[in-house]
Amino acid sequence: MLRCSLCGRQAAYSRRYAGVFLCDRCLVKSVERRFRRSVAEHSLISPGEKIALAVSGGKDSVSCMHMLADYCKNKNCELVTVTVDEGIKGYREKSIPIARENAELLGVQHFVVSFKQAFGATLDEMVKTARKRKTGLGACTYCGIMRRVLMNQAARELGAKKLATAHNLDDEIQAIMLNYIRADFSRLYRLGPAYSPKEGFVPRIKPLREIPEKEVALYALLKNINVHLGVCPYAEGIHSEVRDFINKLEENHPNSKFMILRMFDRMKPNLLKAVPEFEIKKCERCGEPTSTDVCKACGILEELGLGREQKTLISTKSE
Amino acid sequence: MIDVKIAGQRARKLKLNRRTKISDVLKELGLARETVAVKLNGKIAPEEETVKDRDKLEVTLVVTGG
Repeated sequence: MLRCSLCGRQAAYSRRYAGVFLCDRCLVKSVERRFRRSVAEHSLISPGEKIALAVSGGKDSVSCMHMLADYCKNKNCELVTVTVDEGIKGYREKSIPIARENAELLGVQHFVVSFKQAFGATLDEMVKTARKRKTGLGACTYCGIMRRVLMNQAARELGAKKLATAHNLDDEIQAIMLNYIRADFSRLYRLGPAYSPKEGFVPRIKPLREIPEKEVALYALLKNINVHLGVCPYAEGIHSEVRDFINKLEENHPNSKFMILRMFDRMKPNLLKAVPEFEIKKCERCGEPTSTDVCKACGILEELGLGREQKTLISTKSE
Repeated sequence: MIDVKIAGQRARKLKLNRRTKISDVLKELGLARETVAVKLNGKIAPEEETVKDRDKLEVTLVVTGG
C-alpha cells in the first residue's frame, strides 16, 4: 500500500508534478490552501465585497462554490451564484438542479438566467438556424459569447464587485495554447488570475487557476459533493484536441502544465505593453459595453434573425 | 482477473500480468490518467498502486469537457 508523503496515511493521489503521494485529507487541505493562496497572492477578493460566481453544476464550479462560501463567511463577503441556462437538451436540465441544491446547502443565493429569456432562442435553436443560414460559426462560439454577456450583465445587476469563474489550471493553459494556435492576441493578453476590463464590465477572477482539473474532481469526490459529470454534446473539435495533447504531455512529462502557466505569467507584463488603446462605448442595440458600435453578441444575433428579448435579467427573487 | 467498471459502461473482467499497476490497466483501456479518478476496492487510489487478483476497480471519467 502506498502512503501519504506528508502524514503516512493510505495514499489516494499521486501528485506527480511535485513527486509526492497524498492521502484524502492532505489532498483536500492542499487544494483549499492553494485556493486561498491564489486569492491572497493576486488580491482577488477584498473583505466585505459581493462576489458573483458562475455555476454550471459541474465539478469545477460547484467545488469553487464550496470553497468560496467558506472563504466569504470568514471574510465577511457576500456570495451569490448565477447559472446560465443555454438550452442544451439532455445536458443543462440535469446540472441546474445540482447547482441549486448545492447553493441551498451552503445558504447561498442562486439565480438562473437563460438564453431563451434573453435572446428568444436556446443554444440548440441558434445552432440549428446557424446551420441553415451557413453562418460558419459553431456552437462553442455562440455559447461562449452569449454566456459571457449574460454573466457580466447578471453580475452587474446583482451589484457584484467581482465575477468569479471556476476555470482550473487545465482550462487556463488550454486557453493559452488555443489562443496561440489561433493567433488571437486580444484574447491571449486577457488571460490571468484576474482581469479588470473597462467601465461596464465586472472584474473577473479565477480562484481555481492553479489547481489541476483532476485535483478539483478528486476534491469533489473526496468531499462527497454532488456534482454533474455529464458531457456537453457540443464538446468537440480543436478544443478537445488541445486538451488531449496537453494531457498526454503531462502524462509523459509531469509538471508541463505548470511550466506552460508559469511561462505565460512571466511573459504577460510584456504582452500588456503591446495592447492597443481602445475606447469603451455602449452598444447601439443593447446598451452593453463594447469597443465597437454594435457588440459582438448583437452582431451574431442579427445574423440569426434574433435580438435581445429581455433587457433586465435578474428579478429580485432568487430561483 | 480483476473487475473493472467504467462509469456509464458495462463492467468487464481483465486478466492480470504480475505486478500490474492501475496505470497499466488505464493504458490497456486507452484512458489518460489525467482524465479519470479510480477507486480500488471502494477507495480512491493513486495510479501507481498495484492491483491483485480479484480486486475491483471503478473508473470515473472526470474530464468531461463541458
